[in-house]
Amino acid sequence: MCHQTVSLVARHLEANGIPTVIMGCARDIVEHCGVPRLVFSDFPLGNSAGKPFDVESQRATLELALRVLESAPAARTTVQSPQRWSDDHAWKRDYSSVEHLTPATIAQKRREFDEHKAVARTRQIER
Amino acid sequence: MSTTVDLVFAPDDDVPIAYLQRTRDYYAALGYTRPYHWAHFADVPFTPLEKPLDGSRIGLISTAAPYRPEAGEQGPGAPYNAAAKFYRVYSAPTDTIPDVRISHVGYDRIHTTAADVNGYFPLARLNDAAAAGRIGRVAPRFYGAPTNRSQRVTMDTDSPQILDLCREDGVDVAVLVPT
Repeated sequence: MCHQTVSLVARHLEANGIPTVIMGCARDIVEHCGVPRLVFSDFPLGNSAGKPFDVESQRATLELALRVLESAPAARTTVQSPQRWSDDHAWKRDYSSVEHLTPATIAQKRREFDEHKAVARTRQIER
Repeated sequence: MSTTVDLVFAPDDDVPIAYLQRTRDYYAALGYTRPYHWAHFADVPFTPLEKPLDGSRIGLISTAAPYRPEAGEQGPGAPYNAAAKFYRVYSAPTDTIPDVRISHVGYDRIHTTAADVNGYFPLARLNDAAAAGRIGRVAPRFYGAPTNRSQRVTMDTDSPQILDLCREDGVDVAVLVPT
């Protein structure tokens, strides 16, 4: 949802004369929406600005974003960061994986999801 | 003359995660069969950079949430916390690194913990870039974008508010960082 949100905001800013770049980890969501510029880090969601406690990774990710701002020739420019999260790509299998679901966890996840929606609804009404 | 070339390709599944399909399958497995309709456009706006970055004011836009002690667990690795969500655009000063958290979003809690704010909120690195003369300066405020399921709210309410804030602060260029 976060990636969709910033994609929509980027489009609005851009349409009103402010150049933008998104730094993100969910390439397909951003590209499906369609944005001017994206720096994609192939990292677990939550690390859009670089690896935690790794200043050099963060610096390089920002520098790439700045260079994409300077050099993107047209809309829908995506540049993938050369950084790797780890030597093993097995982490990519786990996020929202249906293979981890058992009937018991399905029931539990449904309960949680409905609870979250109810909390969000209550707070939204408060706004 | 023939040579044997060993082609050492990366594994076929070492590709960016297909989140649209992954989440569709996941929620279908949970029994939510009406899929979420993600935003999708054929046309994309584009504004070329008008002046050099070292003479530009950079605005940072984030989906991170201000820490609220009364809203439950929000620390590193906290479970998804719907109570920590925010529903209105906010702005806050950039003269110090703010305490912003991401327990309200679906980040990868198996493989990362959100323990370092600089991994999802690059203000310190932007300050470094300004100090080094790579960018002109960081705008006096950053801008918080609520992650709303309703695209209409994001497009019709939140985006125009963020644009107004950027204009008030003289932002030349925006860096947007989802969490």
